[in-house]
Amino acid sequence: MSTVAEPRAGRVSLPKARQGRRRPRDFDKPRFLRAFFWLFMIFTFAPLAIVALFSFNSTPSLQDFNGFSLQWYDEFLSNATLRQSLTASIEIGLVTMVVGTFLGTTLAFALVRARSRIARSSNLLMLFPLVTPEIVAGVAALLLFAQIGMELSLATIMIAEITFSISFVTVIVRARLSALNREVEEAALDLGATRIETLRLIVLPALWPAILASGLLIFALSFDDFVIAFFTTGESPTPLAVQIYSSIRFGVRPTINAIGTSMLLISFLILAVAVLLPRILGRKDEQNVLMGGDTV
Amino acid sequence: MTSDGNGAGQEAIRFEGVSKHFGDTAAVDDLNLVVNRGEFFSLLGPSGCGKTTTLRMVAGFEQPTAGSVHLDGEPVEGVPPYRRNVNTVFQSYALFEHLDIEGNVAFGLKRSKVPSDEIKTRVAEALELVQLTGRESSKPAQLSGGQMQRVALARALVNKPSVLLLDEPLGALDLKLRKQMQVELKEIQREVGITFLYVTHDQEEALAMSDRIAVMDAGVVQQCGPPEEIYETPHKTFVAGFIGVSNLLPATVDGKGIKLAGGETCKANLPDDVSAGDAVHCSVRPEKIFLGSQVDKDMIALEGTIVERIYLGTTTQVIVDLGDDQRVISLEQNTDRSRADDRWEIGQKIKLGWYPEHALVLH
Repeated sequence: MSTVAEPRAGRVSLPKARQGRRRPRDFDKPRFLRAFFWLFMIFTFAPLAIVALFSFNSTPSLQDFNGFSLQWYDEFLSNATLRQSLTASIEIGLVTMVVGTFLGTTLAFALVRARSRIARSSNLLMLFPLVTPEIVAGVAALLLFAQIGMELSLATIMIAEITFSISFVTVIVRARLSALNREVEEAALDLGATRIETLRLIVLPALWPAILASGLLIFALSFDDFVIAFFTTGESPTPLAVQIYSSIRFGVRPTINAIGTSMLLISFLILAVAVLLPRILGRKDEQNVLMGGDTV
Repeated sequence: MTSDGNGAGQEAIRFEGVSKHFGDTAAVDDLNLVVNRGEFFSLLGPSGCGKTTTLRMVAGFEQPTAGSVHLDGEPVEGVPPYRRNVNTVFQSYALFEHLDIEGNVAFGLKRSKVPSDEIKTRVAEALELVQLTGRESSKPAQLSGGQMQRVALARALVNKPSVLLLDEPLGALDLKLRKQMQVELKEIQREVGITFLYVTHDQEEALAMSDRIAVMDAGVVQQCGPPEEIYETPHKTFVAGFIGVSNLLPATVDGKGIKLAGGETCKANLPDDVSAGDAVHCSVRPEKIFLGSQVDKDMIALEGTIVERIYLGTTTQVIVDLGDDQRVISLEQNTDRSRADDRWEIGQKIKLGWYPEHALVLH
């Protein structure tokens, strides 16, 4: 991925090497890799496909598909509790996305720009939440809220989810920010832009794809998160994932197929936006922020 | 801005006792220098000599630890970069990747609220100056290195700054393009008449382009003057060694002249601050050293053995060993009709000499 204004060393050699389409070689496509790929696809998508299929079943059976119907979606959406849960989940996702993205981006600036020793060691600390088992994070959040006497509600879920999400944003935005050439900012200052104008006109446009991608990512993570939400939720409304879990204890109803399919669809749409939006906006070099590249 | 013609009006930049410390190290140490208006002035030195720090203090990216920088006769202490009437061309070009070429060049004018129809004409003029007319809507990523550098130049010049700062602007280009851009830069500077403060570590580039050069080492200006003066009469061993190739022969001061390590004595112009017995260097440029039959009786003559002969096209470089690990490089023009490499055989004993006035005594 090209960084901003990287000096082109040899203007002849570099682009040419990228242009030339590599001739496929035999060892580039061994057969067993193809088999692995299809196994991966089957294991990932077959269960999802079955859930999606049975969400349209005309009978309550979870074994036999007896014809197409939308009754389980109707049951899902006409159930006030489930509707509330869906709204709650979306609220959690949106609030986490907005607040988490803001805090995570701010933190990324602090970590990249501060020259202190604390900032340097914090770089490692930032990865810690990413590897902490979610159940530990959930229990810890619950204990904290109990200690300070905070009543469990949607707000406590949001706080816990935001805390958990900041790291994702910071890691993604920081990668982009440290790739940003400081001279570009100096050039803006040099050309008469104040620090605020430089941030608005130069830095944020360069970081924007990373910020967007991380925001959508943490929306998708917190929207359907179960573990943290389970520990920090109040009585009502409970987020959808928790609601499904509690309803399963009273027997599995086909409605959860409809709920599951709906959640899958929402998450998938978010992912699609994250991947496609930068592409549509013509930032070809940014389109793979979510796909790895120079990020995590 | 003050008008031309009198006193401070002629000064574009003045450094008064400027020092810059980073922790314990002094990047720039007590710098006193005046850059005149309309001048092509180069700061030349090896990396870490403080030249870029000096430039950044003019731009406003660094604040001096001591002393003051004056722009157009006014001290600029504490003035942020965006309020200084200077613009910078960066080595990495530092173009705004998300803006097209027109957006890049117009950036400064938009910040200073220039009316949009004036912006259009000035951007067009600037792009014409750097021969990029027609590329207005290209993105920086679509340009070659040389073109990006031109955009960076246009983006700075379009604001008509009182001083243009250039930080190794040609450093990332390949040799041929660099040579071509040197000529272009010089032409553009003459055309727009703006003061250029040019930072480079490439002595050839500095000699080719500058009206005056300040050679820096370890945060201190070692010598400042026009290119010919810097090259022909370096005052210090460092300058002689850094600018071009110099033969530095150890010698001692002996009466009115010097005595070379081999025992030969010769008259020489001695610097004021040496006395008899002091260890000095005798510096002679390779093109001023003659070989074989070209050595005449007015020259200081030595004898040695040819150890290497390098054919360089227009010249041939001959390295002669004088014994005691002392080697002298001689550059011979290949103007002879006979092939150059017929004349000097490796291992051959040869006389070499130079005119006393071409030798400089340095310490």
